[in-house]
Amino acid sequence: MEQQLFWLWGGIAVISAVMMILKRNPVHSALCLVVVFVSLALLYVLLGAEFLAAVQVIVYAGAIMVLFLFVIMLLNLETEVRSQGLSRVAFKACSLAGTGLLLLLLLGGGAVKALRAMAPEQVSGVPGNTQAVAELLFTKYLLPFEVTSILLLAAIVGALVLAGKRD
Amino acid sequence: MVGTTQYLVLGAVLFCIGVAGVFIRRNAIVVFMCIELMLSAVSLTFIALSRSQGSIDGQIFVFFIMTVAAAEAAVGLAIILSLYRRRQTINVDEFDLLKW
Amino acid sequence: MNEGYIPILFMLALATAFCVVVVILSRLVGKRQDSSEKLMAYECGNIPTGNARQRFPIKFYIIAMLFIVFDIEAMFLYPWAVIYKSLKLFGLIEMVLFVGILLIGFIYIWKKGALEWGSRNI
Repeated sequence: MEQQLFWLWGGIAVISAVMMILKRNPVHSALCLVVVFVSLALLYVLLGAEFLAAVQVIVYAGAIMVLFLFVIMLLNLETEVRSQGLSRVAFKACSLAGTGLLLLLLLGGGAVKALRAMAPEQVSGVPGNTQAVAELLFTKYLLPFEVTSILLLAAIVGALVLAGKRD
Repeated sequence: MVGTTQYLVLGAVLFCIGVAGVFIRRNAIVVFMCIELMLSAVSLTFIALSRSQGSIDGQIFVFFIMTVAAAEAAVGLAIILSLYRRRQTINVDEFDLLKW
Repeated sequence: MNEGYIPILFMLALATAFCVVVVILSRLVGKRQDSSEKLMAYECGNIPTGNARQRFPIKFYIIAMLFIVFDIEAMFLYPWAVIYKSLKLFGLIEMVLFVGILLIGFIYIWKKGALEWGSRNI
């Protein structure tokens, strides 16, 4: 059952990711990205990270993509003009990304082997519930959590200064 | 039970689709979306490895990735807006002032 | 797999099936008569004016951006609320610090006039 669900949601994620980079209308790209995010959230559920799955839907699919759609509508863009010799660029890009993928898989394979040697895999896993996450977040990772607020403050001020200036 | 390797491969594939998108697309907003996709792929890797290690620390990292992604979206899209106001385009090929 | 998800899946399937069945049924049973008024864009009953695809003001972006930032804040508040009792005073202090820093940003945008919907300097 879990195996099939993985293939289903992983397949949906990969297909919509490919659609996202192929669609020429940015609104369609954004909607494809929402599908990717939702299927990633479902994969998080499979991995036992339920709280993160909910947060993924709320923050990514709910808030960040709304901001993207807002900006697309603010600018009211026409569909992308295809630049000259795109197919050559696309071919180069795809071969580059493919090489990168191979490299990643090789390196990742080595890393996983090293990890397995260090600590044998405990597939039983940990309960990824909200409480366990919270206990770690508010004790061990307290400083990063507080620094996050400064990051958000910088984001507020920066976005307001950049977007609000009138010339 | 789905093995960790499968999740890692899926994460790598999604990441590389994002890389390809950054190279192919000319629309700055879509390029930005591809970067978000790459961040998400890394999040998936973090969660898969956190399960395989039996610790929850990886999930905390995903929290911070999401926060950074949100802050980045807010500031990055504001940059795109102000670029558009100045140049009337968001085609990334047009922004070549720093190229030589 | 956790059995707890079966009700959710059931509800999802039911909702999807309901939508599909209703749409198909209305196509099959009802008859279609298109007139120019029926095909007009729906603007809450008003006669549509202008092009729907016009650029809208930057104020909307500011509001959406604020929504994101405070959404993230809410995301941190959920797990905090779950273990608030075991953290006791310490938890209160750390969250007050967190919210306090964000409040500085809120005061900043308030003073800058970004929340005023009338025509101001934003």
